[in-house]
Amino acid sequence: MIRKFCLLFIVLILNGCVGLNSVSMTQVPKNKGQPVEVNAHDWVFLNFTTQNDFADRAVDNLKEQCVGGKISGVYTKHQTTSYLLVFKREVIVSGYCDLPKGTL
Amino acid sequence: MKKYLLLTPILLLSACARMDHIQIGDIDQSQGQLKPISVKVSENTVNVDAALVVTDAIVKNASGSDEVEALRTIWALMNMGPRTGYPVFNDSYAQNVLNQLYAQCQTGKITAIRSIREANDYAIASGEIVRIDADCIM
Repeated sequence: MIRKFCLLFIVLILNGCVGLNSVSMTQVPKNKGQPVEVNAHDWVFLNFTTQNDFADRAVDNLKEQCVGGKISGVYTKHQTTSYLLVFKREVIVSGYCDLPKGTL
Repeated sequence: MKKYLLLTPILLLSACARMDHIQIGDIDQSQGQLKPISVKVSENTVNVDAALVVTDAIVKNASGSDEVEALRTIWALMNMGPRTGYPVFNDSYAQNVLNQLYAQCQTGKITAIRSIREANDYAIASGEIVRIDADCIM
């Protein structure tokens, strides 16, 4: 009996349902440059959290991947994965880094 | 009754952050140094449904709560349809953000605009926030 519960518990913990909160995209130029992508997330218990700072990290990481260049075609995906009592809030950002000629 | 009085300050003092939407614009680091700028506007509102649930719980201990249930139904019907966050009673609180953003950037060249729709939930009340973070090209 305990074995069954343990199995069920593991299945419940590993099982996550994803909800897509929002997506957005900016203009994509002809000369796109190289693709860049970052992912920032945080874990919250029962949706109790006092900050949304994790999203700022995504932008900082994106900037680091294209120092001195221009990122366009920015695709932002904000999603929440629900596990048992725990939620993973996630911002996935991708785009194209166009570095000035001579810096490649 | 004592329980509710004890519960109220706890609910009011603990805030939960909520993020509804984030949009990130193009990031241009090729034109010079970037200075972070930010504008945040918010509007306080009452989560009427949650307030009615609390009222319902209190009234149930006394006579009954058919009237409160009816109010909840009316409120739900009035607010039917898609929306972001809780309804506010002022629809212009987020109108002046562009001017405020430009006021922080002398050069007028703004990049990496992040539009964030978030909120602070205080049980039956909430602060519905519009935050615009960006970088000013110096």
